[in-house]
Amino acid sequence: MAPDISNYSLLFLIIFVLIPLSLSYRYQLGMNKDIVWSTIRGTAQLFFIGYLLNVLFDLRAIIGVPIMVGAMILIASLHARNKGQGLPYVFPAILIGLLLIEASVLALWLIFDMISFKPSEVIPMSGMVIGNSMVAMGLALERIKSEFKENNGRLLAALSLGASPRQAAQIIIQKTLRASLIPNVDGLKTIGLVQLPGMMTGMILGGIEPVMAIKYQLIISISIFSSVSLSAIFITLVVYRFFFNKQAQLVPIKEGQSQ
Amino acid sequence: MNNEVFVFSGVSTPQLSNIEFKINKGEKVVLFGPSGAGKSSLLFLFNRLKDPTEGRIHYRDKPITDYHVASLRKQVGLVMQSHHLFPGTVYDNLQYGPSLFESWDEGQASELLEMVALPQTILHKNVNQLSGGEKQRISFARTLANRPDVLLLDEPTSALDERTTEEIEDLLKMLGKEKNLTMIMVTHDLSQAKRLGDRGMFMSEGKLLVDQPVEEIFTSPENETLKNFLNR
Repeated sequence: MAPDISNYSLLFLIIFVLIPLSLSYRYQLGMNKDIVWSTIRGTAQLFFIGYLLNVLFDLRAIIGVPIMVGAMILIASLHARNKGQGLPYVFPAILIGLLLIEASVLALWLIFDMISFKPSEVIPMSGMVIGNSMVAMGLALERIKSEFKENNGRLLAALSLGASPRQAAQIIIQKTLRASLIPNVDGLKTIGLVQLPGMMTGMILGGIEPVMAIKYQLIISISIFSSVSLSAIFITLVVYRFFFNKQAQLVPIKEGQSQ
Repeated sequence: MNNEVFVFSGVSTPQLSNIEFKINKGEKVVLFGPSGAGKSSLLFLFNRLKDPTEGRIHYRDKPITDYHVASLRKQVGLVMQSHHLFPGTVYDNLQYGPSLFESWDEGQASELLEMVALPQTILHKNVNQLSGGEKQRISFARTLANRPDVLLLDEPTSALDERTTEEIEDLLKMLGKEKNLTMIMVTHDLSQAKRLGDRGMFMSEGKLLVDQPVEEIFTSPENETLKNFLNR
């Protein structure tokens, strides 16, 4: 079994926190409160989730999985919608998108017997898919807003030549999708060479054979890759419509305060 | 046969109040006035990039809203202050409009380049490689590719140097004469207004204050706001 880490050892992590904290003091970054707060919050969250997972893993899968996956999707949607401030229907769009993606990914995993329907397998794997999809949707939302702002003149030009909103938005859709997919493609290229993926590291430290850990990592990496692509495409194709009205006119988007 | 192309009756938007006028086929109208007067807002009403909150606009005897938006915009072309070219080659830009209506034919490209006095060799260049003046001329050609009947111009030469401006003005005069295009042009350049317009509309604070033949505007202005504007 994996070696245990004593609470006494964990305490010395404080040294690692003191480094950015002293930097913040030294260079007057004004981030002291942020650093302390996010450290405490992160620690508390992780312990809370740890104990919660203990409880959930003991539940029957048919109860534990929907509760936890549902909660993850809800929290992810609430978080990602901040990136789409000023746009209508962002929350339901993200929620539906994440539900669809998680459902199809989970279905594939189970159908092809990659993982079994146990909370201890489904929940961590789903968490990674949902978390990465959330980030991808957030990026796509931010990007599409800035692209619309930047390309206002081009969009007017396209509309004035007789383009439909879909046709006019083509340039923006392309750019948004590219921007959302590039980090993933790049990430896959160097996977394992520089940074061992977090899940694999965890499994190896936990005493699992590296080859077994790699199999899981492959499943999750490829699943994340495709769900991230799907997320960006889904959110982009849903959201671009809100920048136009029925008369193929550009609708001004109210700028919310940035998060 | 009715000669009226556009009729505005009691048109208001958040920027404009109670605008009324008729524009006949082939007229060259120049819109001028202080910035913030609502000139560009007014221009966008002609091709429905914006709609009025009150009042009616007729295009060729029918309410403007009776036309399919895309086909209206094909007939009423717009050239803006900046070229706003699409990424890609000159060719990509020229065929953009006609391709939307599946009416592009390959011969059109050389005809369009000739019209805006650019060499044929430019056709497959990336638009990034063009000079400012060339870009603006491609922007004109892109709009003309749709063979519009009415041309809306939003300060089309304000970003250009003197020589290119002159060339663009010559092009506009030629188009106006040979194709009998109706032109509605926003400009802040009064001498350009004199050169290109035969009818002047002076706007201030969202109102159309003066609507007269261009010579009269400059020789015997009556409106006080207009006098002040001309004597700046």
